[in-house]
Amino acid sequence: MTFAARCLILACGNTLREDDGIGPFLAQWAEEHWRDDARVRVLCDHQWTPEMAEEVAAAETVIFVDASLDQAPGQILLRELTPATLKPALVTHHLGAAELLSVGRDLYGMQPRKACLMTIGAGSVELGEGLSPAVRDAMPAAKDLLEVTVRQLLG
Amino acid sequence: MESDPAQRHIFGVAAARPELGRAGIALRRFGQHIIELLGTKRIHTGWVIPGGVAEPLSSANRDEILAMMPEAYANISLALAAYKQIADKFQQEISVFANFPSNYLGLINEDESIEFTDGALRLIGPKGDIIEDGITAQRFTEQIGEAVEAYSYTKFVYYKPLGYPEGSYRVGPLARLNIVKSMGTSKANQELADFKQIAAGPVESSFFYHHARLVEVMYGIERIEEILADPLILDKHVRATAGVNRLDGASQIEAPRGTLSHHYKVDDDGKITWANLVVATGHNNKAMNRGVLQAAKCYVKDGKFTEGALNRVEAVIRTFDPCLSCSTHAFGQMPLAMTLLSAEGEVVDQVVR
Repeated sequence: MTFAARCLILACGNTLREDDGIGPFLAQWAEEHWRDDARVRVLCDHQWTPEMAEEVAAAETVIFVDASLDQAPGQILLRELTPATLKPALVTHHLGAAELLSVGRDLYGMQPRKACLMTIGAGSVELGEGLSPAVRDAMPAAKDLLEVTVRQLLG
Repeated sequence: MESDPAQRHIFGVAAARPELGRAGIALRRFGQHIIELLGTKRIHTGWVIPGGVAEPLSSANRDEILAMMPEAYANISLALAAYKQIADKFQQEISVFANFPSNYLGLINEDESIEFTDGALRLIGPKGDIIEDGITAQRFTEQIGEAVEAYSYTKFVYYKPLGYPEGSYRVGPLARLNIVKSMGTSKANQELADFKQIAAGPVESSFFYHHARLVEVMYGIERIEEILADPLILDKHVRATAGVNRLDGASQIEAPRGTLSHHYKVDDDGKITWANLVVATGHNNKAMNRGVLQAAKCYVKDGKFTEGALNRVEAVIRTFDPCLSCSTHAFGQMPLAMTLLSAEGEVVDQVVR
């Protein structure tokens, strides 16, 4: 049941909250793009949850994809990620990317050779479907960066 | 309850007992993976739809779920054993975690076994006596009322014939196990027999919601296996279609955290014009508030909150598994603020998490 992907793309977001749908949008594209490539596995949900930890831990490499309210709308950032210390007030229904790495390492004794977090600045996360113009314009660049990153991670 | 705040979360427990942490996460994954298999795709799953489901279950997916059963049984057995091993260490918490006589409401079958989707509601009193049986969704609004308190945004639900607050009651795993005579499956029946040994009548402390929840998980796994063993589960006819033939409809089920009632009115196009939801947290609201008071009286001393007291008051709320956490997910954390007031209304102590 647990897949040891060579490259796991793990996205999250809500398509009913405007730009929060960036993650699901890119995940859907990635799933179609790498449909015939067994080395790449794509997962997406509204939130990152503890049951994803084993798969994250077992993957050779992981790319987390999410929207960010801390960046300018449409700005794309990619950074390397290491396991985070779990905070006391942790909400166990959902986890951050670095926390998920930490849970995977602590419970399953494994962690990906390399993990990175790709975030795209959200302009609005109000109720509604569809992406804002700035985020929509950034999607081609986000897809390109995702493709280049997957290629690099697969070596 | 007095442990280092940095370790006081589920992953702190998992660090102390990794096998238990892995089992808990595996049980969650078991449920989530079934949803994924039924949903035909991982993104934008929309399997359950009006009139039935979108796609029949394939034999391959049925077999994949069946292959997960042994691990699921092992994990819930581990969890039940671990719970029983440590529960006795929490006698004081058991005695003040919403530990009082109350009424209990839940769905039940005609043979008095547990039910989640059909059957009708039964209300029992503090000694286990049946107050009313056979409350159907059609009669729900006749029998169940909604009160408002100035200090809460959440409704306080009660049984109308007894009035408010005397007609308040508890719902959810504890209530269901107090109401039923049988779980309807063998392993869960054995666990129910153990549970019934806790008290001569209804089990009163909300601490035992945890125990009841584990018994229900065992029941759920057994029911999944039973359902999958029926060849009819692979039937290709999985959806009935119909137009709007009534403008007013109500239904009630048992959600994991308790009784859930939905009542809708629609126009001739089927668009919703009115809706009223009565969720488990509303049913349990009075009991949760009484539980907070009971725990606070025991653990808050000398006009000061301590970490242990704060944790226990929060733990009372969590026994009920209220939906307050889900409804605040948009903000990333569940905010928790506690204020201690003197008899004169002056703030004596305050903590915010």
